[in-house]
Amino acid sequence: MDQDHSRRTFIKVAGSTSVVGIAGLAGCSGDGGDGSGDGGSSGGDGSGDGGSDGSGGSDGGTTGGGSSDIIRLGGSMSLSGDNADLGQLYRDSYELTINRINEAGGVEAGDGTTYELEMVLRDDQTDASTSRGIYQELIDQEDIDYLLGPYSSTVTLPASAVAANNEKPMVEGGGASPEIFSQGNEWIFGLLPTADKYPLSTIDMAMSQDDAPSTVAILAEDDTFSQSSREGAMAKIENTDGLELVVDRTFPTETSDLSTNLGRVRDADADVLLLCAHQKHAVIAADQMESQDVNVDLAMATVGSLTDSFKEQSGANGNYWYGPSSWAINADFEDSVFGSTGEFASAIEEQYDYTPDYHNAAGAVVVETFAKAFEQVDSLGPTAVRDVIRDIEFTSAYGGITFGDNGVIDKDMLVYQWQPDPGKQIVYPEAVQQSAPIYPTPAWSER
Amino acid sequence: MSVVQFVVNGLLVGSLFATVAVGFALIWGVVDIINLAHGEMVMLGGYCSYWLIQLAGGEVSVGIALATVPVAMAVLFVVGYALQRVLIQQVTDESLFLTLLITFGISIAIQQLAIQAWSATPRSINVGLADPSIFVAGLIIPKMKLLAFVGALVLTLLLWLFLKRTRRGRAIRAVAQNPQASELIGIDVEHTRAVTFGISAAIAGGAGSFIGMILGLWPQMGLNYTLKSFVIVVFGGIGSIPGALVGGLSLGTIEELTAGLVSSTWTLAVSFSLLIVLLVFKPDGLFGQSVEGEQ
Repeated sequence: MDQDHSRRTFIKVAGSTSVVGIAGLAGCSGDGGDGSGDGGSSGGDGSGDGGSDGSGGSDGGTTGGGSSDIIRLGGSMSLSGDNADLGQLYRDSYELTINRINEAGGVEAGDGTTYELEMVLRDDQTDASTSRGIYQELIDQEDIDYLLGPYSSTVTLPASAVAANNEKPMVEGGGASPEIFSQGNEWIFGLLPTADKYPLSTIDMAMSQDDAPSTVAILAEDDTFSQSSREGAMAKIENTDGLELVVDRTFPTETSDLSTNLGRVRDADADVLLLCAHQKHAVIAADQMESQDVNVDLAMATVGSLTDSFKEQSGANGNYWYGPSSWAINADFEDSVFGSTGEFASAIEEQYDYTPDYHNAAGAVVVETFAKAFEQVDSLGPTAVRDVIRDIEFTSAYGGITFGDNGVIDKDMLVYQWQPDPGKQIVYPEAVQQSAPIYPTPAWSER
Repeated sequence: MSVVQFVVNGLLVGSLFATVAVGFALIWGVVDIINLAHGEMVMLGGYCSYWLIQLAGGEVSVGIALATVPVAMAVLFVVGYALQRVLIQQVTDESLFLTLLITFGISIAIQQLAIQAWSATPRSINVGLADPSIFVAGLIIPKMKLLAFVGALVLTLLLWLFLKRTRRGRAIRAVAQNPQASELIGIDVEHTRAVTFGISAAIAGGAGSFIGMILGLWPQMGLNYTLKSFVIVVFGGIGSIPGALVGGLSLGTIEELTAGLVSSTWTLAVSFSLLIVLLVFKPDGLFGQSVEGEQ
């Protein structure tokens, strides 16, 4: 009896503990990355101020939390789940940029007040519906007026709908599917070229080689972004003389074995492999191409093949892989927050101990775009800020920033390649090339 | 690409599915728990090998890579034993819902802790092989996959022999058949169940080491293996080790044939459809015996 009783008590405790634990862990991972703690001194102060002053926000909540000198920027990010590795890059950039702006005295807004920025960033676990709920909650319960975008197209698409429904501007640097910008949504602004553009520069580069390829294989993940990339590549191949699509296979995100699909690439004797997928599959493909003896003249992944962790995990198998980027780390653009492109890169390296990539640069400019808009607007408010962003024009570490009518930045992709000696190099276009591409890729037997 | 190559690819990967599922079947059969954290044991085993290999320099010989497998198994045995003693034991005789809730909670907790500790970055174990593949009659057989295939079969065989030939194995089977009677004849039932959980986790961990060498690792990989194990165990017959072996090899082959002949996006749909069809005609699974009968 006693044993039964204690067991039942345990079950009740364990059951509730596990539920609380799950929620706590999820919350912990999310909040671990949120800006309230990361925003330095302003974070702690801001939450208090926001709470006390929120009801007194007589200026219509244009300052987010209602504080007289704080503007809160809120969003969700993939801090756990499949894309946590890339989500972390955005979080770091958001945090660093906000800290730098606050350390320099804050944002002198067009209404004559100087504001500090505060970030409220929650973990969406790389889940679109979770992200959607977070944005609605930030708007309804936290009075956030200005939205930082999440990561990945799959998550950004529904999140952008929340922004539109609530008429709050969202600036994002992590969603690139054309679908995000084809809904007539006037509240979303994207800093990445659309996904259909990702493979184009690589195809242009391949076609400019002396021994241009004639056959292309596409292996695409079944998520929104990758399918948009695939469609862009297929349209390009169709419009390019002398180029034929010989393999077109889609695989589910959870797949961890690409050997059968890679076998098809080998059997089709494809010259080019376009892997429309993310880092996990780029690493798997690099490793399995060796074990399956798949030789192509050029292999590229749309996302994830340019990160340091891709190279660490794939080792020598990652050599010669190509990847597109909307940002050149060796460019020399002025930046009002960091000074220049080089100084931005150094700041990330010093603070977080890794080399930034275009995700970092786009993330920093998400915050800078809002800061510039606050400076230029006569009176703070979501609609006024949205209208200013539409016509905004400034230079940043990421390059020149302006948005087209559909809300997307107009930018072409550069092409990088991992080369055995110098490492990651810009190889295309020639105007900004660090090294000539090593093309064709040596066969496995010759490496 | 020939159908034979698809079958070969499927068998090579399917052996690992089978080994993972054997551990799942063991727990289900003996402790009567559907362990939703079983996939996390696979993940932890893989990470054990990964970090040991990182300590050894990052890219290691096949011998060193294989030497990490028993270490990972030992670590996972301890993890499994402790989980059973501290948590699972408290709900063993309770409703299915509660056991599912507890193991699901463990699964999420381990996953989140792994992300916090090691980040979500996908990892792979780099094993140095001068010539990574064997070419036989027009077929390509990656050497590491072949080694993993043999390793997975050896693990399964050892488990089967352990259960059939050793005193502890007989105790485990006795507890599976009748815990009350086992207790009456002097078997420490809770200890035996904990040992079973430890063995199950160790087998999963060993498979995880091989999976890290050929397919890669990430903290969220576990759910996929738990789902596969569930399908395999139901397919092969609950509690049956030969059933899990045949089920795993079959699932791997079906998945690769589907990926090769139709599309990778249809693999889950085809696998589950076949499972439904099988259960309609043979509700006890392929090997068609009850847990008690098989054990």
